[in-house]
Amino acid sequence: MKTAATTQWPASDFTRVPFRVFMDENIEQLEQERVFDPTWCYLGLAIEVPKPGDFIITYVGRTEVVLNRDGDGNLAAFINSCPHRGAQIVRRMRGNAMSHTCAYHQWCFSTTGELLGLPLLKGVRGKGGMPKDFDKKSHGLKMLRVEEYNGLIFGTFSLTIGPLFDYLGPKMRPQIDRIFDRKPRLLGYYRQRIPSNWKLYVENLKDHHGALLHLFHATFGIARPTMTARVTLDVERGHSFLRLANIDEVKEETRAAYAGTDKYREDYRLADPSLFDVKPDYDDHVTNVIMSIFPNLMLGQIANTFQTRTIRPKGKNEFELFWTYFAFEDDDDTAVEGKLRQSNFIGPAGYISAEDGEAGRMVQTGISSRPHDSSFVEMGGRGEMEDADNISTEVAVRAFWKRYAEAMSLDGEGRQ
Amino acid sequence: MTKLENIAPSARVEANYVLDINDLLDDYTSAIDRNDLEQWPELFVSDGCYRVLSRENVELGLTAPLVYYYSQGMMRDRVTALRDALTYEFVYTRHVTSPPRLRRRSDGDVAVASSFSIFQSTEEGVTRTFAVGAYEDIVTQTEHGVKFRCRDVMLDSFGVLNNIAIPL
Repeated sequence: MKTAATTQWPASDFTRVPFRVFMDENIEQLEQERVFDPTWCYLGLAIEVPKPGDFIITYVGRTEVVLNRDGDGNLAAFINSCPHRGAQIVRRMRGNAMSHTCAYHQWCFSTTGELLGLPLLKGVRGKGGMPKDFDKKSHGLKMLRVEEYNGLIFGTFSLTIGPLFDYLGPKMRPQIDRIFDRKPRLLGYYRQRIPSNWKLYVENLKDHHGALLHLFHATFGIARPTMTARVTLDVERGHSFLRLANIDEVKEETRAAYAGTDKYREDYRLADPSLFDVKPDYDDHVTNVIMSIFPNLMLGQIANTFQTRTIRPKGKNEFELFWTYFAFEDDDDTAVEGKLRQSNFIGPAGYISAEDGEAGRMVQTGISSRPHDSSFVEMGGRGEMEDADNISTEVAVRAFWKRYAEAMSLDGEGRQ
Repeated sequence: MTKLENIAPSARVEANYVLDINDLLDDYTSAIDRNDLEQWPELFVSDGCYRVLSRENVELGLTAPLVYYYSQGMMRDRVTALRDALTYEFVYTRHVTSPPRLRRRSDGDVAVASSFSIFQSTEEGVTRTFAVGAYEDIVTQTEHGVKFRCRDVMLDSFGVLNNIAIPL
């Protein structure tokens, strides 16, 4: 049987994406091994595990992982599966514990994964028990390497990948710093089960739909193609960010850009516009930042809302979009209240984000019987992949597929 | 807001008022299930509050709501957007709610709590359980009848099936 790994990539500049990659039966395991396990995957924010013993359940691809702090406050992460018979060890989403015991046969592990002990090691009255050569040291938990950048925690199963600092790279780090120059303060989580392949959401983070699908973006000036815009790529690393600022916009151009659509509506009025009456967090006029860190992390800003979104695959046709919504430690009550108000933009019910879930559903439904066809990705041009000073481009989508194909060991023609 | 659980069970509500409150709750689900969304904001007082909350966040003491409309105007804006602007999947909805529990508050308003299930059916008639949770309300007597002062929609199903478009 043909698998995704042998799918013909229909264009060496990635201006075509074979629909098969969104529906292939065999692709998930391959992605786990080649895309998620060996890269730096976002696990959570440092403020989610502030104290020794704090833990949360998180994911690397589909693998459940526990992120925790040891007694000295150092971060550690392990696969949430007992080395004995494979049972899930930590069974609550979050908590505080200085050791973790598998409920099935009571194997007990330290926060750094060492097997501390197990009942019946020597059996009872000299009978049963583990073989004499049983060595606790070789039955610890499967650990990840963990590193932190500016309060963002990542983990990897790779022993060879370079430091996180280099993985994020010089083009993304300044953008991360812009948001995380202040300590975040957790406001809450949102979870959406979106009925599409996870990679359709990655595409969503990198294309020009924002100002077209989302009337609120267009009409209320959060994202319009006529605003000052920049698409920055790190082609080698597979990252990108889209950034829009409310500078130098010409109304006539805006009208022309939206001619023939019903998305930019100068007549559209809100009965209660206080949603928009919130003082900007920065004086740089930036209204929208969508940063995408390979493979499945989004960091971003919509107006006054700042968030991480993790794309957690849950089968070929479904993923959880997991949002961590935060304010900043030095925000005053007014600023925090403004962010709660603007929660109406984001999350599963948000004026903007609800529509992205629908976009995923639409595409997955639309392509379901077209595994042999491809999408057409030429907005912004073909060939070379370069930064752009506009958002009328899908170049960041192409750059993602290039990096993905490399990770999956597919060449430009889709061959291994 | 004072939770119903924190009010003494002796704080009973008169029978006539109970009937009016039941009508309000019925009008709410009926407005949504019949797709008469324009009626939805009218069931609130003008500075009424409608929130959708995740049980996960509430239990963690985290304040971010999924929806936070603190005026009738914001609710009308949502309806306008649903009719005219937002892109979402058309579905039929059906609410099934429990009988409400009622307590009279010290300020004369009534705290109301009920459980709900919301089913969605596609245009091809396939049904899924969309949301399960509880309503926590404060209702008040006005010259135009009984209205919601606030309605909190507490979601057990905070792992939302795709998205929330129309009010819950």
